[in-house]
Amino acid sequence: MKLKSMLLGAVAGTFVLVSGQAMADTSEKKIALSNNYAGNSWRQAMLESWGKVAYMAIEDGHVAAADAFTTSENQATEQAAQIQNMILQGYDAIVVNAASPTAINGAVKEACDAGITVVSFDGIVTEPCAWRIAVDFKQMGRDQVKYLAERYPEGGNLLEIRGLAGVFVDDEISAGIHEEVANTDFKIVGSVHGDWAQDVAQKAVAGILPSLPEIKAVVTQGGDGYGAAQAFAAADRPTPTIVMGNRRDELDWWKEQKDENGYETTSLSIAPGVSTLAFWVAQQVLDGNEVPKDLTVPFLRVDQDTLEEILAETPVGSVANVEYSLDDAKSLIESAK
Amino acid sequence: MSMLNKTGETQHEKRGARYLLGMMSRKAWIWAYIAAGATYIATLMVVSSSGGAGALLYAAFTFASFAVIVGVGQMFVVTLGPGNVDLSIPASMTLAATLSLKFMATDGALVVPGLAIAIGVGLGCGLFNFSLIMLLRIPPIIATLSSSFLFQSLAIWSNRGLRIKPPEVLADFSTGGTFGIPNAAWVALLVSVLAWCVLEKAIAGRWILATGQNKRAARLGGVPVNAVRFGVYVSCAVLAGVAGFMLASFSGGANLNMGTEYMLMSIAVVVIGGSSIAGGNSNVPGIWAAALFMFLIVSMLNSYGLGAGVRLMLTGLIIVSVVVLASKRGRRV
Repeated sequence: MKLKSMLLGAVAGTFVLVSGQAMADTSEKKIALSNNYAGNSWRQAMLESWGKVAYMAIEDGHVAAADAFTTSENQATEQAAQIQNMILQGYDAIVVNAASPTAINGAVKEACDAGITVVSFDGIVTEPCAWRIAVDFKQMGRDQVKYLAERYPEGGNLLEIRGLAGVFVDDEISAGIHEEVANTDFKIVGSVHGDWAQDVAQKAVAGILPSLPEIKAVVTQGGDGYGAAQAFAAADRPTPTIVMGNRRDELDWWKEQKDENGYETTSLSIAPGVSTLAFWVAQQVLDGNEVPKDLTVPFLRVDQDTLEEILAETPVGSVANVEYSLDDAKSLIESAK
Repeated sequence: MSMLNKTGETQHEKRGARYLLGMMSRKAWIWAYIAAGATYIATLMVVSSSGGAGALLYAAFTFASFAVIVGVGQMFVVTLGPGNVDLSIPASMTLAATLSLKFMATDGALVVPGLAIAIGVGLGCGLFNFSLIMLLRIPPIIATLSSSFLFQSLAIWSNRGLRIKPPEVLADFSTGGTFGIPNAAWVALLVSVLAWCVLEKAIAGRWILATGQNKRAARLGGVPVNAVRFGVYVSCAVLAGVAGFMLASFSGGANLNMGTEYMLMSIAVVVIGGSSIAGGNSNVPGIWAAALFMFLIVSMLNSYGLGAGVRLMLTGLIIVSVVVLASKRGRRV
């Protein structure tokens, strides 16, 4: 009897092993998304991408579950509690877009100690046990000025539209812009906070425009370019080169101007689909692959030539997006090693 | 004789000064106008282009309009007395704008029904708020805060944050102007004139003030207190709906976070405008001054090129001083 059950067990063991090789090793694993905010189109697209890719991944047997949870108040304490619930619910990995880089470290550490893989992205956490898929925001600022310096080697006046005051991202992008401007003949003659929202940016730009000399170009942080264009039009001033942030209304406006008068600019931002990259990275870690703790997200850039193509793929009112595949994640991990 | 004359004169002067002070005390909004004027002039110091002065004023009136529309609604609510405030304004704005723009779907023929939807959503939000406050006896701050989660979630659920453009005619109207004044300001002016008439000339205004000064006394005096509260909360939400509709048409679409800054803004314009935060005393002209001031102060600090930290600090300091000045004058010993 005992021998029989042992034999049976061995047979079952080999069976599991064989089937495990055929399917992914992570097919029984459960991944949760802990998201701190959902109140804008970028975050909505991010959740949608997650839902799409997660659904496919479950269908294909890569994972058993990939549930998304969003806190209602964008508070670190709330998110910490949420992560603690996820630990109790027995998830194998938690993907986090964090409300604060440091304030939920305690909860993240608890998750790590419970043997859970934590992958943070976009809003990353500093807790060393977690993986980080960070955005090089400084580079985002530098790239804008580099593009402008190529177009206008002679320099000129710049208007800077910043994001939400006091937020890490805003400081980083702005620092990148200022660093690069120092290498050129450009001069930043005005700076306003647009809170990454078209209506706020429009209001701020309309308020500062009367005191500004002629503006050659506007450097932005995304979600504010269309508002800036509106403010310039309302003040009857010549439209400067406004760097866009991949929002559909920005791209629409650009296309309109391009068809009308050959307007040229560039547009760059992070694709909301970065959540899917984080998803696959978590899957890879669960799979037992060696993944470096710090990864960097590629930018999604729209140029004069790719405008029409990307515009056609972007849903009305949304953000230019790209969903990442397992192979994308693998090559990102490979390149970071 | 001459002595008498002299004392008579000084007495007259004294009376004049007292009269002026008395007028000031009744019209606390004068301080908001002084502040707005001062910031305007200070900004002009750094305006380089000719015509910049006009452009700045035009922009100020445009953006002040939205704050005025929600501010008037909030003013009525605040007037109802301590504890009365509508925190669901941003969410009501977002929901009304999202639903109406989605319905119009850039079709210019649907502007009127679109506006009706915005007003209808406002009505619905107001009714819901009031039923929480009245039927379930939840304090207004908590009731409106929790209903704002509901409204915001509905807005997210209904359109998933997609930004739909307003119909061309509506966008042209809300960004355009008539007789050199922005159309948005005309709408806000209409709203404020109506509000002023209600407050100063109609019996309903007396009822609102009476309720705010002493609810119990008002009830004993025959004021239909609950009907007054009903009307106030509903009209506040309707105004938020209209403001959301206008703002979305103006800025090229409804955003999920479009109302965020109007939470504090609506309360700030009421307080800076000289209405009593304790209720029972309010005025409409001050709302305009405060709304212009709130726009101009940001423009001024931006134009002087001050960093965000300094700017926020100065904004806070200046607002505090204006409120202190206004309330000092308004206090009757």
